[in-house]
Amino acid sequence: MTPDRHGSAIITFPNDLEVVITREFDAPIALVFDVLTKPEHVSTWGTTPPDRMTECSIDLRVGGKYHSTFVTGDGTVFSFHGTYLDVEPPVRTVQTWHFNCWPDVEAIEAMELRERDAVTTFTWSLTFNDQAGRDHMKGFDGRQDSLDEMEAILESLLTTRVGGVSES
Amino acid sequence: MARASTTTDVFNAVGDAHRRAILDVLLAGEKSVGAIVGQVSMPQPHVSRHLRVLSEVGLVRCRAEGRHRLYRLAPDQLQPLYDWMSKYEQAINARLDRIEDYLTELQRQGDDSDT
Repeated sequence: MTPDRHGSAIITFPNDLEVVITREFDAPIALVFDVLTKPEHVSTWGTTPPDRMTECSIDLRVGGKYHSTFVTGDGTVFSFHGTYLDVEPPVRTVQTWHFNCWPDVEAIEAMELRERDAVTTFTWSLTFNDQAGRDHMKGFDGRQDSLDEMEAILESLLTTRVGGVSES
Repeated sequence: MARASTTTDVFNAVGDAHRRAILDVLLAGEKSVGAIVGQVSMPQPHVSRHLRVLSEVGLVRCRAEGRHRLYRLAPDQLQPLYDWMSKYEQAINARLDRIEDYLTELQRQGDDSDT
């Protein structure tokens, strides 16, 4: 009987430029990595109606690119893309991060997995490179479009690096 | 998207670490500027300036007692921020919960096919 970990994500802002989210899963690290990085898995848990994922490509190797696009129920398009800087299955991917709503911002996104006693700890971080990203992070004005943008970023949490693995 | 100015928006007002430190101090109760200065490592003019911003967005209230001005939290003004953070947490957790459920299902299927 594994514990119910629903709602147990830990969200921290270690400094002005960084968001870090941590969560444990009762599953082996290799399976967690696959679920987070393979399109056949992601398509199963990735979006919930009315949101749709209309584009998802990934080339999971250093220098490879990813690109994902979501369309929300009201037709708003959110798109994320970047290039892999580090790929070490099943423990780590690091990639650049670009968001269509914040064209002046670049960030580094990292996913880390660690397994201990059959529990895999997942750590996701987004680190903004400079003041522009920091201003966006601090610039929440509480209005709906601002909320929607932030939610889209959070929803991109994992799907930015997953999806249509190029068939070889 | 137009940015709200610091003095009109609670989100921006708490975006500053110094102002958050002042809010932390006021959690303990009403205090004078002098008492606040004693607990945060900031010169008094800075503390006064931050208190003015916090007052303008309604996060702290001020009353005069004799020659002193006393500041206290007005926590109801934090509600929009709390609502935002709750939404933020829900979005993250909903996603991670779906992954957890999916992992559980995959492992159950794996166990079934082993037998």
